[in-house]
Amino acid sequence: MAALSPLSVALLVAVSVGLAAAILAWRERPEPGATWLAVLLVGQVWWATFLVFELEAATLPAKALWYDVQWVGVVAVPVGWLFFALAYTGYDRYVTPFTVAAVSIVPAATVAVAAAGDPGNLLATERVVRETAVGTFLEVVPGPLYYIIAGYTYLLGAVGSVPLLQLIRDDARPFRGQSAALLVGTAAPWAGSVAYITGAIPIAGLDPTPLVFVVSGVAYLLALSRFRLLTLAPAPRRRARQLVFEQLHDPVFVVGTEGLLVDLNESAAEAFGIDRREAIGKPASSTVPRYDAVRDLADGDDKPRAIPIVGRDGRRPYEATVRDVVDDHDRTSASVITFHDVGAYLGQQQRLSVLNRVFRHDVRTETNLIQGYAEQLCAESSDERAVSVIEESAGRILELSERTRTAGELFDPTQEYASSPLPDVVDEAVADAREIDSGARVEVGRVPEVTVSVVLRVVLENLCSNAIRHNDRASPWVEIDATVADAWVDVTVADDGPGIDPAEYDVLDRGAETPLRHGSGIGLWIVKWGVDHLGGRISFEEREPRGTLVTVSVPVERSGVPGTDR
Amino acid sequence: MANGPIRPSTSDGTAEQSRSHATTAAAGTRRRVGAFATAAPFTAVVAAVEVAIATAALGVPLSTAPVAVGLVAFSVYAADHVADAEGDVGSTPARAQFALRYGDQLMVAAALSYGLAVALAVGAGPAALALVLVPGAVWVGYATDWLPTVGGLVAPLGDRVPRLGGVSVPRLKDVFLLNSAAVALAWAVAVVAAPLAFARVPVEPAHAPTVALLFAYVAARSFVDVEVPNVRDVAADAAQGVSTLPVVYGVAETRRILFAVDGVAAGLLVALVATDAASGSVVAALAAGLGVSVAVTALADRLDGSTLGVAPDCSYLVAGAVLLALGP
Repeated sequence: MAALSPLSVALLVAVSVGLAAAILAWRERPEPGATWLAVLLVGQVWWATFLVFELEAATLPAKALWYDVQWVGVVAVPVGWLFFALAYTGYDRYVTPFTVAAVSIVPAATVAVAAAGDPGNLLATERVVRETAVGTFLEVVPGPLYYIIAGYTYLLGAVGSVPLLQLIRDDARPFRGQSAALLVGTAAPWAGSVAYITGAIPIAGLDPTPLVFVVSGVAYLLALSRFRLLTLAPAPRRRARQLVFEQLHDPVFVVGTEGLLVDLNESAAEAFGIDRREAIGKPASSTVPRYDAVRDLADGDDKPRAIPIVGRDGRRPYEATVRDVVDDHDRTSASVITFHDVGAYLGQQQRLSVLNRVFRHDVRTETNLIQGYAEQLCAESSDERAVSVIEESAGRILELSERTRTAGELFDPTQEYASSPLPDVVDEAVADAREIDSGARVEVGRVPEVTVSVVLRVVLENLCSNAIRHNDRASPWVEIDATVADAWVDVTVADDGPGIDPAEYDVLDRGAETPLRHGSGIGLWIVKWGVDHLGGRISFEEREPRGTLVTVSVPVERSGVPGTDR
Repeated sequence: MANGPIRPSTSDGTAEQSRSHATTAAAGTRRRVGAFATAAPFTAVVAAVEVAIATAALGVPLSTAPVAVGLVAFSVYAADHVADAEGDVGSTPARAQFALRYGDQLMVAAALSYGLAVALAVGAGPAALALVLVPGAVWVGYATDWLPTVGGLVAPLGDRVPRLGGVSVPRLKDVFLLNSAAVALAWAVAVVAAPLAFARVPVEPAHAPTVALLFAYVAARSFVDVEVPNVRDVAADAAQGVSTLPVVYGVAETRRILFAVDGVAAGLLVALVATDAASGSVVAALAAGLGVSVAVTALADRLDGSTLGVAPDCSYLVAGAVLLALGP
């Protein structure tokens, strides 16, 4: 075996270390960046391998051939580096067949020129064999394309280093170690290349870049084995953080310091019916719902309170949180406003409170009544009034129980309610009302042909039933009417009864009962919960000369198109 | 008293089976390291010795070929043991446990070993580099599924040149006889071509008979080496429906067939002597190795499993020792 030159021996070390790192990187596929790191390392190995062949070749043509072959590795290194850095740090959206092809145009052209025998001396204007103490290599006088590809290599190297430099400042120690090792691995060949181009190498004409691949190989090997490069890549973090923002169930808005909307997530666009592309850049006051109330919230230190906001699902109570986005210099650059739908939570709270009152007060009162009259029956078994009172009281408990079940169904998260035409919903509610009192006059006015959730039937049944049961006239009168405007339907239930005690609907407005201030029964609560479920509103008015007008406003189901009135 | 109460065996009330026992960790590690050493490193040494014998037989200058082939063999086997560790727990538990425990370190060692082999090949020139890159190219093909057809063709290497990257292609590997024959041929190519490529010696017409006879000899011997351990695995192979010589023809008939193949190898040695294609000491060394092989074949059904796993390869170590003693 012919003795190798010292340069060749050094290059063989670079080959063995670089190839080992390339194998380990290739083995990690499909981890982000693994393939491109392997491309980078194979490029280095290729370069060093054919430089050894060049050094060991005896003639100028043979050396020139191996010199030209090296270009494949030379141009693969920066391409591999750039796409590795992008894929590894999570900028994989820039790693597409198109970008790879575009970035590879200059390298491919360089290889083509080398393969064609360097026509026009584009790569090297002169090639001479230079014998030195460390080896006999080809000294080239660079041509114009040489400088272009060198500049291009530096450009790709610099671009690829930017995301990696960001990682060095990262909080996570493994990522800092990884990126430091990677940057050392890349900076070493650069330093060699710069030294060659500036003529800082004592051996004239020797490009030391492939030699310092030893340093690169060791750095990459360390990164792969010690710092778990590729098995613990930071690439998913960018996507994961973006995913959390986009997929968060709560609507989120990002408002810049100038009060302009910077970003919003899918949930915000969906919940409030906002076109994302249109909204970004617009004043927050015209895009973020109830922005004034939210801003006041940020200024003061009030307890969080629910802000009712009308969105695509109707009117829902939201708790808003405002957090400042602060940069490294403690400057606030934006505010993140998060809306949390507390409708279900408030509903459950009310339900617990009301059911508590029903057991503690209503059922207890009825039971006391039954107990008292039952004792009286024991004393005088022929007391028919006592029997009648017991029957009525038991009937009320039964009815309370039925309504409690209905209320429970409204809170069943697995329950999905169908849609139905409003006239059908009204007809069913009216039929139920007529069963309560056959003498009652239940009239139906204009009811538009729109589609609504069947939950509205529960609401109307309870309103009609209340209007008839609590009416003191011999022949109670109830009228249902409806109008549609802006995808909302207003359904009114009018009666000629004695009117609802304002205390009853004040409690509904406040949303909570107290031992001293509470409603009677559960019917009005079912109406409120049903309306809340539909994202609607309810209002109560007194009628002249007597009676009550209840207006329920609910959003029309999206499939429903206003049609002909009946 | 299978279900009888456990009586405390000591005054503190603890029963023998509920007390902690000192495990022989050191012994276990030694066993696993020993099991591993008899696998990849052993195969690497055998491969290196084979190439060294071939170098002497071909009369070419000593090169880095034995070291490079040994390094490639180590990396290929170590990577395979890591990749198939979970599947090997049943057949070679100690080796598999070692591979499972030190998988990452073994892969780094395998990669460095292959990198060093390629570096040695680069120093020896383009032909040596091409030869050493073949296993790497096969690995890329297996690992990426770019070359499913080629993957199928190289599948028989699964026995002697194991499945790299853990991708098992069971097609040709399961074809009766063809699997062992393909492995033997691949081995013969590596052992005979490496000394020539690394020494940068072109095959001249005068050397052609030596190269051809040596190639045939290594192929015949490798065939026997692959089939002998199948005697040990006859029950398992039959259960899995894998066709091997012992499964198809029975142990006694297999022994006769392998004796016949060894007979062919002996005939090739005679031809080497007759044509004066190799030195006397080389022929003597190869004959000694052949003798060991015949003995191992004769004892195939009497040796225990682990011995039978390494015994055929020991014939090369014997041949190497004889060559060393006699001088090339």
